[in-house]
Amino acid sequence: MKKGLVMCRTGMGSSLMLKIKLEKIIQENNFPLEIEHDVLSGFMGHHPDVIITMSDLVDEFKDSGCYVIGVKDIMDEEYLTNELKKFFEQSKDEK
Amino acid sequence: MLSDVLKEEYIKLNVEVSNWEEAIKEAGTVLKDNGVVNEQYIEEAIKNVKELGPYIVITKGVALPHATNKIGVNKTGISLITLKTPVEFGNKDNDPVYYIFMLATTDMESHISALSSLSELLGKPEFFDVLKNAKDSKSVIDYIKVNEN
Repeated sequence: MKKGLVMCRTGMGSSLMLKIKLEKIIQENNFPLEIEHDVLSGFMGHHPDVIITMSDLVDEFKDSGCYVIGVKDIMDEEYLTNELKKFFEQSKDEK
Repeated sequence: MLSDVLKEEYIKLNVEVSNWEEAIKEAGTVLKDNGVVNEQYIEEAIKNVKELGPYIVITKGVALPHATNKIGVNKTGISLITLKTPVEFGNKDNDPVYYIFMLATTDMESHISALSSLSELLGKPEFFDVLKNAKDSKSVIDYIKVNEN
């Protein structure tokens, strides 16, 4: 099971919507991924395998060493599904 | 459910504004007039966009302005305004914005099921037809009540 972290600024609007959408996609695709969500300042407490965030926040995590997915349109299920597939493909190569 | 926090009187259709700031003010005033938030909350929501950018434009044509739950929120609520003329928020992927869902929440949980319904509805092209062609708030709320889960 991999751990995903949805990051946002206030943690109650866009990121919550994004988390809801991701959970639906994870369920539909049986992705082995658990999603948590937090605000930027709470990042250090988590040790995620993948960070999913709005595209304008991607730069905040470029030095984190984590796989980062930037999202422009949270309703774009096809994009989100493909990006998660890419993440799983890549993490498979690492083993 | 969405209809628990987005009530018929929280919907205002075909509002005329000239920029994004006015759009948030209008959507915030609807909440204020219904006792959901005070003036300070509206100012905070505008400040959020100025300081943090237009990330609240979550999908094509839809903005979800909000501020923290710590300032000026009396109860959890979501207002909806549709714009007669769309406005730009500066989000190049999702501009122009036609629909503003303004969110106010008292805590981190009370709005989760509402946002979950909203997420489902925003995935339906039919919902956008309803928003676009609605003659009154009741027809929007009736559609939400039938289609939310």
